[in-house]
Amino acid sequence: MTEVATAPAVPVTGRAHASLARLVRAELRWIFRRPRTLVVLGLLAVIPVIVGIALTLVDSPGPPGGGPGGDGGGESLLATAGGNALVLPVGTLAMALGLLLPLSAAMSGADALAGETAHGTLRGWLLAPVGRGRLLLVKSIGVAVFTVTATVVMALTGVLTGLVINGTGSLFTLSGTTLSFPAAMLKVAIAAGWVALQLWAVGAVALAISAWTEHPMVVLASVLGGVIVFSVLGLLDALDWLHPFLLNHSWTDLGDVLRDPMPGGPLAEGALRAGCYIAIALSLAYARLSTKDG
Amino acid sequence: MNPKKRAVTVAVAGTAIGAAGLAVMAMPAGAGEAPELPPVSAQELVSSVLRADVPALAGTVRIENDLGLPSMPGLPVLDADSARVYHDGDEGSRIALEQGSSELTVVQSGDTVWSYDSAENSATKLTVPAEAREHRAHAEEEFSDPASAAGRMLDYVRQSSTVSVDGTASVADRPAYELVLTPKPTERTLLREVRIAVDSETRVPLRMSVLTNGTTEPALEIGFTDIDFAQQPANLFQFTPPQGATVTEERPQAHDERLPEGAIGEFSGEGWDTVYVGTVPAELTAAPGSEGRDVQGMLDQFGTRVSGDFGSGYAIETKVGTAIVTDDGRFAVGAVPQQVLTDALAQR
Repeated sequence: MTEVATAPAVPVTGRAHASLARLVRAELRWIFRRPRTLVVLGLLAVIPVIVGIALTLVDSPGPPGGGPGGDGGGESLLATAGGNALVLPVGTLAMALGLLLPLSAAMSGADALAGETAHGTLRGWLLAPVGRGRLLLVKSIGVAVFTVTATVVMALTGVLTGLVINGTGSLFTLSGTTLSFPAAMLKVAIAAGWVALQLWAVGAVALAISAWTEHPMVVLASVLGGVIVFSVLGLLDALDWLHPFLLNHSWTDLGDVLRDPMPGGPLAEGALRAGCYIAIALSLAYARLSTKDG
Repeated sequence: MNPKKRAVTVAVAGTAIGAAGLAVMAMPAGAGEAPELPPVSAQELVSSVLRADVPALAGTVRIENDLGLPSMPGLPVLDADSARVYHDGDEGSRIALEQGSSELTVVQSGDTVWSYDSAENSATKLTVPAEAREHRAHAEEEFSDPASAAGRMLDYVRQSSTVSVDGTASVADRPAYELVLTPKPTERTLLREVRIAVDSETRVPLRMSVLTNGTTEPALEIGFTDIDFAQQPANLFQFTPPQGATVTEERPQAHDERLPEGAIGEFSGEGWDTVYVGTVPAELTAAPGSEGRDVQGMLDQFGTRVSGDFGSGYAIETKVGTAIVTDDGRFAVGAVPQQVLTDALAQR
C-alpha cells in the first residue's frame, strides 16, 4: 500500500497511465495478504467437503423427497447431492449463496473503502494523482477477483469431494442424463460464474455503502440486513410485484444449471438483474467517491 | 464540468439505467396486440387441429392455477408449475416437470417410456404393450377423415355448448385463433367458458384456459410461454438410468390393477353438468395413518359439513368444481354447484 501512495508522486506525467495493472496488482496483494481473506476462503473451501462427507455418512435409506420439497434452493438440492458429484458443488454454492457468500462479498466491499478510511490508508489513494474513477475501478476489480476466487475455490473442492466419494460415473443431471467430465465441468463453471456475478452485485452494493461511511461494520450490517430483508420480502406472496426488483429473487434458479437441456431464461434474467444492481451501485459509489475530500 | 455536477450526473444516469432495466424485467409479459388473421369457421378450425401432426418442437409450458384449492400435503403433482416439453415430430417426446429444486423427467421413444425422479434418484421403465398401440392406431383411424370427425365432434359438443372462434390472441409470441366453448344457459355449471388458443400456422393447441363465473382471471390456464418449432437433437429422446438409480420395470396390464376394487363409479348427467358418482374404496377411509394419508383429517380440515336427502357428508368447494364425500362412503365430483351433486347423490 505504501508504494502505491508514494510512487506516483515521482512521475507526475504518468497520472493518466499510472499503470492500471500495477495498481490492481498492489490492491490484490493487499487483499490476499489480509489474514481474514485467507480464513474466509479456507472456510468456504471446507464447506463442500463437510457437506459431502456428512451426506455420505448419513446416507438415509429412505427417499429424501419425503419431506416438504421445494422450500428453498440449496437445501432440497443437497438432498440429491449424496450420490452425485455434479450436484454437490452446485448445491453447496446454492446453499452458501443464501448467506455466507454474500457475507464474504460484503466483507470484501467493506474493507475496500470503509475499512481503508477507518485505518487512514484511503487518504493516500485520495491524495495520490489517481483518478477517482480509476480508484473505484481498481477497488471493484479487487472485489470481483475476490468473489470469483471464493466461488471457484468452493466449486473446486465440491467437484473434488464429489469425485472422491462417488467417482466419475456420478456426474449426472437432475434430468438423469450422465455427463462426460468436460461437459460436467462446463456446467459447474457456468454455475460458479453466475454465482460470482451475483456476488459481484452484492459487492458493488457494499462498495457503494462503503464509499458513504467510514465504519466497515455499517457496511457489513446493512448488506447482511438487506439480504435478510430481501429474503423475507421474497417469501411474501402479497408482494409479488416487488419480487423482480429483488436481487436474490433468482438465486433459487441456480438449480436450473443442473437440468438438461438447461433452461436459460431465468438464469439470463438473474444475470441481467445483477448487472442492473452493479450499474446502480457503482454509479452511486463513483458519485460519492469523486466528491470525497482527501 | 465541475466534479460535483459530474458526480450527480453519473449517479442519476447509472441509477436510471439500472432501475429501467429492473423495471423492464418486472413488467409482465403483456398479451400484446391481437394479431390480424384471416377468419376461419369453428368447424374448419377443429378439423384442421385434428388433421395436424404435431411437428418437432421445444417449449416451456406454464400451469397457472387459481382454483381456490386448499394446498394439500402429499399431492406433489400440483406443486409443479412449469414443464419443459420436447417432441421430435414422430414418436419421441420428453417432458421435464420442475418441482422446486428437483425434476421429474418422462422420456418416451416408441413403445418405451422412462420416467426419472431426481429427488429419489429412481427410474421406472414402462413398455407399452402391443394391444395398446393397436388400440391407439384404431382410434387414429376413426379420425382419419378429420372433416367428418370434426363434424361429429362438434355436433356432440353443440348439444350442450356454443362453439365459436372468438378473435385472435398472441400466445408465446405466435399468432393464434381462440376457440371458445361456452355452456348453454340451461347447463348448471360453475364454468363460464373454456378457451383454446390454436396456433394459426401449425394448428397446434397452444393454450387452454378455464374461466369461471364471476371472475376475469382464468381459474386454470395451461399454455406455452415459449415454443420453438425446430428439429430436436435425437439424444433428448433416449434415456439411460444414471449411476446409483433404483430402476423398476413395469408392464401395464389390460386394466390397471393398482386401482383398488370398488372405486369405480359412473357418470351421471350430460354435457357440462356431468357428475361422477361412485364409492370411496374402503382402504382409503380405513385406519388413518397408513402411508401418512389421513383422509378423515383432511376432510375435517378442508371440507364443510353438508346434509340433505342424500344423507350427510363433507363438501369441498373450489372455483371450478365441487366434491362431496358422504359419511357412508359415497362420493360425487363435478364442475357444478353443490346442489347438482346432492341431487345426483340423492337419485342413487
